[in-house]
Amino acid sequence: MTRYLIRRLISMIPTLLGVTVIVFLLLRLIPGDPAVAMLGEHASQENVQRIREQLGLNRPLFLDREALKQGDLKGFLDSQYIRFLGRLVQGDLGASIHRRIPIATELRQRFPATVELALAAMVVAVALGIPIGIISAARRNTWIDSLSMVGALIGVSMPIFWLGLMEIMLFAVILNWFPIGGRLDHAMEVRRITGLLLVDTVLTGQWEAFVDAVKHLAMPVMALATIPLAIIARMTRASMLEVLQEDYIRTARAKGLHQRLVLFRHALKNALLPVVTIIGLQTGNLLAGAILTETIFAWPGIGKWVYDAIIGRDYPVVQGGTLLIALVFVLVNLLVDISYAALDPRIHYE
Amino acid sequence: MKLLRVFTALTVGALLLGLIACRPTATPTTAPPPAATAAPTPVPPTKAPEVVRFIFGRGGDSVQLDAAIVTDGESFRVTGQCLEPLYQYEPGSTKPVPALAEECVPNEAATEWTCKLRKGVKFHDGTDFNADAVIFNFERWRFTNHPYHFPSQVFEYYEYMWGGFDDASLITAVEKVDDYTVKFTLAQPLAPFLANLAMDMFAISSPTAIQKYGEKYGMPEVGCVGTGPFKFKEWVEGDHITVVANDEYWGGRPKIDEIVWRVIPDDSARFLALKAGDIHATEQATVEDLAAAEADPNLYILTRPALNTAYLAFNYKIKEFQDVRVRRAVAHAINRQALVQNFYGKYGLVAKTFLPPLVMGYNDAIQDWEYNPNLSRQLLAEAGFPDGLSEVTIAEDVPDAGGNIVYKAGDKIPLKFYYMPVTRFYYPSPKEIGEAMAADLAKAGINAQLELAGDWPTYLSLRRNGLLMGLYMLGWGGDNGDPDNFLNYFFGGLSSEDEVKEPAGREGWYANQEVAVLLYKALVNPNPAEREALYKQAEQLLHDDVARIWIAHNQTPLIFSKKVTGYVPQPVGADYYRWVEIQP
Repeated sequence: MTRYLIRRLISMIPTLLGVTVIVFLLLRLIPGDPAVAMLGEHASQENVQRIREQLGLNRPLFLDREALKQGDLKGFLDSQYIRFLGRLVQGDLGASIHRRIPIATELRQRFPATVELALAAMVVAVALGIPIGIISAARRNTWIDSLSMVGALIGVSMPIFWLGLMEIMLFAVILNWFPIGGRLDHAMEVRRITGLLLVDTVLTGQWEAFVDAVKHLAMPVMALATIPLAIIARMTRASMLEVLQEDYIRTARAKGLHQRLVLFRHALKNALLPVVTIIGLQTGNLLAGAILTETIFAWPGIGKWVYDAIIGRDYPVVQGGTLLIALVFVLVNLLVDISYAALDPRIHYE
Repeated sequence: MKLLRVFTALTVGALLLGLIACRPTATPTTAPPPAATAAPTPVPPTKAPEVVRFIFGRGGDSVQLDAAIVTDGESFRVTGQCLEPLYQYEPGSTKPVPALAEECVPNEAATEWTCKLRKGVKFHDGTDFNADAVIFNFERWRFTNHPYHFPSQVFEYYEYMWGGFDDASLITAVEKVDDYTVKFTLAQPLAPFLANLAMDMFAISSPTAIQKYGEKYGMPEVGCVGTGPFKFKEWVEGDHITVVANDEYWGGRPKIDEIVWRVIPDDSARFLALKAGDIHATEQATVEDLAAAEADPNLYILTRPALNTAYLAFNYKIKEFQDVRVRRAVAHAINRQALVQNFYGKYGLVAKTFLPPLVMGYNDAIQDWEYNPNLSRQLLAEAGFPDGLSEVTIAEDVPDAGGNIVYKAGDKIPLKFYYMPVTRFYYPSPKEIGEAMAADLAKAGINAQLELAGDWPTYLSLRRNGLLMGLYMLGWGGDNGDPDNFLNYFFGGLSSEDEVKEPAGREGWYANQEVAVLLYKALVNPNPAEREALYKQAEQLLHDDVARIWIAHNQTPLIFSKKVTGYVPQPVGADYYRWVEIQP
């Protein structure tokens, strides 16, 4: 297992390098100059040029062939990409072009917000999705099954934008249960330990802030959890139905085992393998794709931040943000693979 | 069974969280600031005294709070409460009135301005505001080798408003006469001197703070340190910025204790937050939400006086557009009255000149183009297009920024109509307005293809290089309320009367020597009455030449809770918050 893990971790390096190359290339393929985006309408040509030089945008993208022809090896390697990699190796993601704030500082602030939202949404999706899937499978073709699956279908097809606004209308404007936007009331302060407010408020014993943080989290989580919840419920049902047809289930039933025992001990564990894969992929999607939820609920995470950076051609922010998201994706996939071994004793990693 | 237990626990946990969330609302309390100790110990929340807090919801965060190096309105919204310039704009108008200066008086040639500074004013860090502070700020902005003019920072507005840095600067010296008097020497008379001084970006920061924090001055951990009615308290990025009342403010303590600007990017969600009472005010509402606000007894609307103009520009590298009859045909084809009614509602005004009505030099005597598609057809026929216009000819080679020829002289291309890809305050629904204009043009036989050139930076970049080859939508919002800032920026830019006005790509290659000379004369003439006459004349020439088609001025609406009084929306510069009151 350890060797497998090391191998997987090493294989992450080319994957992430590939991500940096693609992001680098795509960003520069779209028209629009970051120097102009930064300086605005009035910028003089000299200033645009000065900023381009300062940001290294006047250098070739990957390698300077002209410099090589002249035998200048240093110049050959002095490209935008190599400069970026050089800084990256030293743990420096650079600074935002627009705000001049180091990317690492912004990520420390924003990434925990996105993680908290995505994880909370996934906990809710799993906690509700799997039981719904199991019940649907166990009560196949009953009204409970139909109701659950129609509900799941609606959940999958619900536009988050619309759902979010409806939630705000109902829970914030009419019922006044939850606040709109942000992670915490602006009059409250929580000592930062992990950056995850639910955890930090518990660690510092700030219970009032904990309640406030939960209230702020409630609506975005409801919106974000809907789609994965529906997908998990449908996948669990399908997988359970397949497993319930297996011979060993019939054997278990023939032995006179209780239905609950058959479902949970024998069927569920095997049925969970594809569900776990889906959970892994969905967690990655939640982290990367929370932009709509973050926009509607004014959640200060990385989704909206990276989106704004793309519009503003803030290359370092887009590079830093996507690299982090890619890293999380790869790690989540690794966790999924490891969990296979835990769920299915036949799977061994060498 | 173990799994079942896990799921039961998770489900119960999720439900419990939901129940907690539904508990009655607790009064927000202020916990003590983070302690220096490392070990996490329980922090009992303490009840703060009743704080009168004004919460303003906005669509985006500030970029930076060092006013000298930013260009975005969301930054000035905050710095305008924390920092003050020597002059400021009279509440509700564009007239410069004294702020940190008690008065600034020019010499006879208007090349020297002597400013008496307000005494007894302190920066928020406790240091004195005086002549040295003014000189430090101006020298920092001007000199590129100043130790606090960092290479990573761009003092964009200094260069733009004062002609350049170092020796190119129109301000050639700022000298200390005594502790509370400074003298500005200019390279030439500059009529909008006071209007420039009053701009948010020329607000005076504490030199001590800049020296202490260096490049970090203005960033979230430092904020701004000035003399304004509110002091910076905190900035949680992407979430909110808080400032607190300055008890020692020279103009009297503000009536509220705190302002919080909350970022709620989605327009509808922001409006719902206002309805729910989470915020007290907002700007940039959708048309539907504005209608809802008008009908809501708990809300009211104020409008920001229009200091902007939406327009339709011609690319003059198109041969057909070089004929004034064709341009006039376009002008008469567009039903601007209907556009304003349908897309701006009661907040819009039909624009008949580039200058909005509240700006000096506005020429009300100009006879606006009437909507008349038949006249358009007639003008087109006179110009040699009796069957209308669908295809146009490139007049001369047009290169891109790299010198590669993008359009070749003599090429025939379909007539294109570029609409803006984003909503701006002067064009509330650019795509729909573009479609309506194109439909109007078609009625007059001008068949233009609607074209999306890309996203906003792409659009601006193409426009900058004169590559929006057709008709294109754009607009302008004034920076200092002076006509020079509208007209000279686009149609002038000469440094002497004898200079030849070269066509610029960013202006669709338009050049009008007569207008440019008039604008230069107005720039250096300190006599307001004479300036006004010059601007009126320039506007008439632009109208006669149909240089562009002026579409609308938009008075942007702001929506408030009825609990709020005393807010003053400004046509230019940051809004005034210091008279805001909130009823319980």
